[in-house]
Amino acid sequence: MSRSSRPYHAPAGVPASRGYACQFTAHDSPLHRMGAAWKLAFGLVLTALAAGARTPGTLIVLTLVALGYYALARLSLGDLWRDVRLFLFQAALVIPLHCLIQGVEKGGWTGVRISAQIILFYLPGAVFLRTTRTADVMSGLRRISPYRLTFLVCVSVRFVPFFFRELEEIMAAQRLRGARLLPRQQLDPRNWPDLFHCLLLPLMVRALKCAEEVSRSAEARSFGQSRERTFYLADRCAMSSDDPNPLPQRGRVREGEFSNAEPTSSPLPASPLRGEEI
Amino acid sequence: MNPPSERTYLWSRFTLREAVLLCFCATFIVLTRAGLRLHLHLPGHVMFFTMFFFLLARGCVPKVGSAALVGLITSLASVLLGMGSSGPMVFIKYLLPALVVDLAGFLFPSFVTSMLACAAVGILAAAVRSVTNSGVELLLGMEEEVMLKKAAITAIMNCTFGGLGSLAVPSIIRKLRANGLIDQGSGTR
Repeated sequence: MSRSSRPYHAPAGVPASRGYACQFTAHDSPLHRMGAAWKLAFGLVLTALAAGARTPGTLIVLTLVALGYYALARLSLGDLWRDVRLFLFQAALVIPLHCLIQGVEKGGWTGVRISAQIILFYLPGAVFLRTTRTADVMSGLRRISPYRLTFLVCVSVRFVPFFFRELEEIMAAQRLRGARLLPRQQLDPRNWPDLFHCLLLPLMVRALKCAEEVSRSAEARSFGQSRERTFYLADRCAMSSDDPNPLPQRGRVREGEFSNAEPTSSPLPASPLRGEEI
Repeated sequence: MNPPSERTYLWSRFTLREAVLLCFCATFIVLTRAGLRLHLHLPGHVMFFTMFFFLLARGCVPKVGSAALVGLITSLASVLLGMGSSGPMVFIKYLLPALVVDLAGFLFPSFVTSMLACAAVGILAAAVRSVTNSGVELLLGMEEEVMLKKAAITAIMNCTFGGLGSLAVPSIIRKLRANGLIDQGSGTR
């Protein structure tokens, strides 16, 4: 399951830390090198233990384990704050509510316990997302789900920046024509029809045309005719070379990487799209 | 608009064009979710565009399972883009309301052209989604009274935004149909 014992190298252009919760953060840590399936399995165990914890002792041990797990990924306190701050705000609501209903003595502990459990329940998921590259998740997804569904997920992710640009262009054009699409204008519900008819309707028309083009293009390459398909395993190609930076390099393919099932290029992105590009 | 071919691509139901269109709807949900979470901090506001695109997907591809496919792709894409911090719960969060939309489409195939029906389905689906969080809290042993109060607030916010988002769908569907961009949606397939 483990990908490699080689150190993880951040792809060019990916800074070590990012601005919002659960964002992939490039570091060289044991968790970054660990296979996605192992992380998922360990995360599920921690989540199940958090759900079952009831005593202060168990909660303290679990908190220490979760913090150790977080530190093992070499994530900073700033990252931890961004990941848990939403739950801390929730805790600020839950603890007083419990105190109000059950009294400070009993309700205080119950509120703290529930709040801690909620954070411990979700923290392994945050670590998984912070330490797993999109390409690794996709490659794992390819193993467990049918390629037709994987293709659709990849297309969906791949087209996020495309439609983001489309959205910006449509918005700029419609604003020039007088549509009230600015965020402060949208605070007034009377301007909502403009949002739907001047922005989302043209976007949907663009999506319909784009879907037509993509499907025609894929079908012209006989995509979807066979039960199986081939994949271009860019990461393995890079791993097989002596290059310390495992960036995808086209044309360096091992024998046996391709099957004869379907001669087509992969829809998988060569350089994974990350959330920060949105 | 004529489809490139009638050969089914997924689940013996959707052609490649329909499947790609549905995955674009999922892209829009992800986009709006990412955009909104940077600007708004209102609970339940995500349901505004989520319900809008679920219902729009059902209107553009009037087949049972279209909203469920959008829900499935959205949850997987959310995980891939680092927006699935709730772990496996993210699948339930998107699939449950999608299944409500599909069920409504199965029972009332032409509901997407009625504002009242769209609002009702939007509210119901948003309410179902809010149950998910309460399920986790119940699992963690939260005090029932607190959980119910919190669930009620969440449900009200979700339903309000879900209903408002759904109201815009019929006019969009009618415009797309009038221009021959989508099927007339005469019945469930």
